[in-house]
Amino acid sequence: MRRNLLLLFPFLFALLPLLPLGVWRAFFLDAGLFVLLYTALALSWDLVARTGQLSLAHGAFFGLGAYGAGLLVPHLGTLPGLVLGSLLAGLGALALGSVTLRLHGLYFAIASLAFSEVLRTLALKLPFTGGPIGLPVPPPFGGGSPWAAYYLALAVFLLAVALSLWAERSPFRLAQAACRQSEGVARVLGVEVVRVKLLSLLLGSLVAGLSGGVYAMKALFLNPYEAFSLGRAVEALVIPIFGGLYTTLGPLLGGVVLVGLEQALRLWIREGYLVVYGGLLVLAILFLPRGLLGLVGGRRG
Amino acid sequence: MELLLQTLLNGVLMAGVYALVATGLALSLGVVGIVNFAHGEFLMVGAFLSYLLFASRGVDPLLSLGLAFLAAFLVGALTYYGLIRPVLKAPELNQMLLTFGLSILLQNLALLLFGADTRVVAPPYQGAAFHLGPFFVGAVPLGAFLLSLALLLALHAFLTRAPLGLAMRAVAQNRLAPGLLGIEAEGVYLLAFGLSAALAGVAGVMLSVMLYASPTVGFLFNLKAFAVVALAGLGNLKGVIPAALALALAEALVSTYVPGGGGLVEAVFFLVLFLALTLRAWRQA
Repeated sequence: MRRNLLLLFPFLFALLPLLPLGVWRAFFLDAGLFVLLYTALALSWDLVARTGQLSLAHGAFFGLGAYGAGLLVPHLGTLPGLVLGSLLAGLGALALGSVTLRLHGLYFAIASLAFSEVLRTLALKLPFTGGPIGLPVPPPFGGGSPWAAYYLALAVFLLAVALSLWAERSPFRLAQAACRQSEGVARVLGVEVVRVKLLSLLLGSLVAGLSGGVYAMKALFLNPYEAFSLGRAVEALVIPIFGGLYTTLGPLLGGVVLVGLEQALRLWIREGYLVVYGGLLVLAILFLPRGLLGLVGGRRG
Repeated sequence: MELLLQTLLNGVLMAGVYALVATGLALSLGVVGIVNFAHGEFLMVGAFLSYLLFASRGVDPLLSLGLAFLAAFLVGALTYYGLIRPVLKAPELNQMLLTFGLSILLQNLALLLFGADTRVVAPPYQGAAFHLGPFFVGAVPLGAFLLSLALLLALHAFLTRAPLGLAMRAVAQNRLAPGLLGIEAEGVYLLAFGLSAALAGVAGVMLSVMLYASPTVGFLFNLKAFAVVALAGLGNLKGVIPAALALALAEALVSTYVPGGGGLVEAVFFLVLFLALTLRAWRQA
């Protein structure tokens, strides 16, 4: 049943632009695109969480990918710009991780939060980012097709699902679980703890960077407060926790429910919407540690 | 030369508030073992309390200091009782997520209630200043510095003399043995967490006059406090003051000597944090 559910998601999203939705069409397509992007971001966060690390820098990886794409796409074209932007996020992750992942887990959490705050400051101050005024970004492929951004988002989503499934089904899952449950034991068992954590962070940041890049080409305009918003990091972690940690299906469920809800509620509440996420996070940790999947009685990884 | 000395003086005065916030953070980390991402929001509670009392009743911030201490202690104690205690035995990831969620919740609740504007508490003595020879010292930063120092000294005396303070240090060193000696760890945790919040609340009142009250004022201060704590060594209270001094001086120097440094000051703490962690990783490897 789980496998069928997993297959159903991409199928539904691939068909969404073809459905006759009438006047709601534009709204549903936008909502669908953001569900895809943020679910990909959430899956990439979960990939890091599976090693027991709390990343608060996923908003920063997202922003790096967005600014990378925004600066490079006009010169190099859509796909090279997108990929190089995501590599920029990967580079940031390597710099951050190679220092902090050798230390106790809380250092990484703190440094990753500081990392995202500092990148926003830099984006505001550096000469080539447009500063507080912002950076205009061209639509994908010169704006020829109205659905290009949607299908790019779908592609990033599928990549994230594939990566997550690979990490869940391969021996890599055992290495990740060992790092999470006890680093000392993992080391004795011959798991190269730092390497596993660093690889997970690198993969996670690349996917986060890609979704940031697609976001930039959808939004058509970037400013440091939006692109490096703490809200993105919050969404990236609340979605998997609410859906079910350390699984692929959990973030998918969480993403559809939470991002869908957000797109609908945003019509009424604008500033301070994160209250909902903060409250959900606290409640989920206290009362629903295994998320929605725990409610339906899933297998534990 | 005068410019350099004035810069250093400004840095030293700022270090007091940094040390106060970071000490609270180190206290909850060292004694309770919790990384409190919501520490900055306790500071924000103090800042808004000071603003609301001043704006509605004209209460002097000096009076608000005591009220904020009590109010923040209460908020901290309630947080401990309702939220922290249930996850004390949970994995560290869950603990950090919980305090992070609380931080986001409080920050955005304040945003909904008060909006994103910055609000300054302006008592009549806000602009007062002394001239010491060629140097210039603001009355408010000097008062905040002296008060922070007094509070830290009082805390030091409490931890080294008072029976409860000794119990706190015992619990910080060993989770099991103090229980066998008849120390109630639960009560000590509650007290430590409340005190930690109270220190942040007092710092918040100071900042409402020196800087402003806003929903995000505590967040950045908490990050800086993390940098100070990482530099000092986790849970090490004695190292906090020199580490706070190092951060504040580095910031003051950047803001004076780096061209266009006014905005980049907010990135200095990350450099300090990153260097401290690199050094630590290098020493450990």
